Amino acid sequence: MRFIQHYKFDTFKMIFKQIGGLQIILGFTMVFPLLVSLIYSEFYSATGFFLSGLICLVMGFSLYKGLRTFYEPLNRHALIIAATGWISIAVMGALPFIIIANITPIEIAQQFVPAGAGYNSSIFFFKNPLHALFESMSGFTTTGLSMAVHPPSIGKGLLFYRSFTQLLGGVGFIVLTLALLGQSSGKVAYLLYGAESTGERLSPSIITTARSIWKLYIGLTLFSFTYLVIGTYIILPGYSLSENIFGSINHAMAAQSTGGFSTLDNSIASYHSNAMEMLYLLPMILGALSLPFYFRVIHDKQFSQFWKNLQTRSVIITCALGSVVLSGMLLKSGVIPDPFRTGIFQFISALTTTGWQTSNVHLWDSGSVVFIVMAAMIVGGAAGATVGGVKIIRVLLLFKGLFWHINSYFYSENSINVVKFNEARLLPDEMNKELARVATFVFIYLIFIFLGTIITYYTMPHGFTIKDALFESASAQGTVGLSCGITNPDMSPGLEITYIIQMWAGRLEIIPVLVLFRTILLGTKPKVV
Amino acid sequence: MKIIIAGDGEVGFYLSTLLAKEYADITLIDTQREKLSSVEKKLGIATVLGDSTSYSVLKGAGIEHADLLIAVTSVESINIATCLIGKKLGAKFTIARINNMEYLVNKDTLDLHSLGIDELISPESLASREVKYNLKSPELTEIFNLYKKDLYVMGLRLGDDNPAVHNTIAESTRILSDNSFIIVAVYRDGKTIIPNGNLKLLKDDLLYFVSTEAGKDKVLEYAGKKSVQIKNILVIGGSRTGKYIAMRLSKEYNIKLIEKDYEKCNYLAKNIPNVQIVCGDGTDVNLFEEERIADYDAVISVTGNSETNIFTCLLAKEFGVKKTIAMVENIGLFEYSQKMGIDTLINKKMAAANFIFRHILKERVLTQLYGVDAVIQQFVVKKNSKIINKPIKELNFPEDALISGVIRNGNGFITLGNFQLMADDEVFVFSLPQSNKKVISFFK
Repeated sequence: MRFIQHYKFDTFKMIFKQIGGLQIILGFTMVFPLLVSLIYSEFYSATGFFLSGLICLVMGFSLYKGLRTFYEPLNRHALIIAATGWISIAVMGALPFIIIANITPIEIAQQFVPAGAGYNSSIFFFKNPLHALFESMSGFTTTGLSMAVHPPSIGKGLLFYRSFTQLLGGVGFIVLTLALLGQSSGKVAYLLYGAESTGERLSPSIITTARSIWKLYIGLTLFSFTYLVIGTYIILPGYSLSENIFGSINHAMAAQSTGGFSTLDNSIASYHSNAMEMLYLLPMILGALSLPFYFRVIHDKQFSQFWKNLQTRSVIITCALGSVVLSGMLLKSGVIPDPFRTGIFQFISALTTTGWQTSNVHLWDSGSVVFIVMAAMIVGGAAGATVGGVKIIRVLLLFKGLFWHINSYFYSENSINVVKFNEARLLPDEMNKELARVATFVFIYLIFIFLGTIITYYTMPHGFTIKDALFESASAQGTVGLSCGITNPDMSPGLEITYIIQMWAGRLEIIPVLVLFRTILLGTKPKVV
Repeated sequence: MKIIIAGDGEVGFYLSTLLAKEYADITLIDTQREKLSSVEKKLGIATVLGDSTSYSVLKGAGIEHADLLIAVTSVESINIATCLIGKKLGAKFTIARINNMEYLVNKDTLDLHSLGIDELISPESLASREVKYNLKSPELTEIFNLYKKDLYVMGLRLGDDNPAVHNTIAESTRILSDNSFIIVAVYRDGKTIIPNGNLKLLKDDLLYFVSTEAGKDKVLEYAGKKSVQIKNILVIGGSRTGKYIAMRLSKEYNIKLIEKDYEKCNYLAKNIPNVQIVCGDGTDVNLFEEERIADYDAVISVTGNSETNIFTCLLAKEFGVKKTIAMVENIGLFEYSQKMGIDTLINKKMAAANFIFRHILKERVLTQLYGVDAVIQQFVVKKNSKIINKPIKELNFPEDALISGVIRNGNGFITLGNFQLMADDEVFVFSLPQSNKKVISFFK
């Protein structure tokens, strides 16, 4: 008995030690928003980041160095670490919001509000810790739903921090920790890497894989930044250069991570320019393509991947077709002034799960809402990218499986029908296994959206309908971030918690969350029947 | 000429048998004592017991003076290692049997020649190539080229409806003859006849022709065969031969492959594109009905068991399949299977041996035909020979032998009775074994 207890205790120690590692990295990353706050002379915000960073570091180091454990994580532990790790990141990541909201005097906060805008600073919504947690979770999971009603009014420091959390959360905090600390043994690293993302090995060692992923990711973000600065300068020559640079750097981070936080009041629509909306399509699509694909193209110089890579091809085709269909549906409904401009931007924003909004979805007809939910928000971009949703490759596999199943009736029963999928030839057994895995995931994903929709339906304010509930729930679950107006600081706390759970589960692809629930309810013993 | 053969498997034994007729100094290496002692009894050649990748074993076999080292064990890596070591120890020419298509396709990548392997053979691949050629003209039982694309040997069975039946060769060929083909052998009731113009042809005779490229169609016309188009093929047996056949043919034909072993089915399904794999027993009549065997134009049976292959092909004939090809490894079964009406036989050992004779040794004896005693020999006409500048029919050439073709200045010609030989002509002679000596002395 003594041994079992000892072992149990050690499991917790091991998990907390890993979480400590994550906290250390989080603490250090607070330096960047701190610097931005100093540049803009926002000293209260700077203090807030300094304090939050300090708390994270102290906690992180005491857990990481204080706990001694001899056990290495097993597969189930890796999933538990991913699930709890992400909660801990969201909780600690909420600290700057809470601290800054509480220490910033009202006159200072009012200075953040753009001149001529007749509203109060949104920063004080974060005095409520639940709102802060929501914002933090929305940031790290790259969702983009926000409690800051008027984003510009929370100060440059916090604006930068919001976009920065999306950048960090996009590829994944665990991947970042692996890349920076590089301490774990290969086996542990592999388990953790696999638990967080639908990972693919790019090089023999996971640590180097994590590092190459981060290099690529930062490189792509810098590319988007340059592209946006130059593009904005050409399209809107009168726009202030410092605002241009600040906006572009934030939007580049939000686009590459497919997060969708914006520094502007009405997101990309604030530019009031058709050309600007077209300019922003490319960074979103770049964010929805898988990082291993970029690795093959940039590192291995396999340019044929552009048309050979199944996911890349289908993301681009889906963008083109879906935009046209959505535009057509909006045109038919006649409720939107610019159906094509809206249709194209919103479909791509939803499919890539970025979530920049240029239209009031609440006004849309039910048909268009259901279409964008089913064809874009649930589907999502490429696996291996920073997108949410079920990932386009899984949808393709399910379709392939369906055709395979129907075709098999035309073969004799002894014949072995191979499926060709994504350059691989899958045997019936392999295909069945793959299908079972994907179908289970998609099924639980839809159940989560369904539950979220029901909860939203019973807690949302008057004036909204079931299509709004479906849209909002799918948006949180798919880490999209488009909103029809249900998400705001006045929403019911129950619904807010529901969305926090949906974002968290959606980012981790649900299974780690279920493993955690199972551990809490039934412990780690296998169930034998 | 000293020859060392490593590996006393089917191919190794068959090669030893053939080579032993021509060359005196042959050594066979194998790891199994019983096998070697039976070879010694049957063929009377030297044997060495041991692993062919060992220095001492190779030295014991006399590798320093070997002109030719043929490694034909069933394990590819042993064959390659044997050749590499043998070459270093002094073998002049090395041949390795391989199973992996990779080596054949990417020959240049490794530059095997500089490593010490002069030639690669893959019996399975050669057999599948024979099948491919044969399916191009499915009316024939056999076809291969004797000299580049100029001279072909073709085999063909006479059916009921043939106008030539009950006529003599001279009568029947007159209508068509323009020096484009010649009948060189007739196989009837288990006996091979080298014909002269007076031989009367009968139903079910198996005729062998030598023809030029232009004569190929004439042969078919002569035999009155309706041309058959092959589109759908059923392959039975997923061994290496079956796999190569499926891979080679899948571009041009619709192929279904039946294999008994489930694991093997999975392996094939995973690795061969555009071929439908069916898991089932190739001797099961119900399966044939289920898979609609009657819809297929050709059935190729290549399981590891010769009897199964023969049986399957007979069954397919019964269902109305136009073309049947059976892999028969047991040479003793050739006569019966041909008699029973299987269209074409293939044999991995003979494919390998013929390849070695025809393309590597380039010696006098060129090739063996399936089930037929006649051999094809090649001679060069000497300058001062008494046989030049006379029509062939006046040469008093030995009985049971026939001059059938000539290469002159790089072109192939058919040699009918009025043809006159010239110096430096390369002559192909069809002959039965008993007249071999006379033929050889004729060209001295």
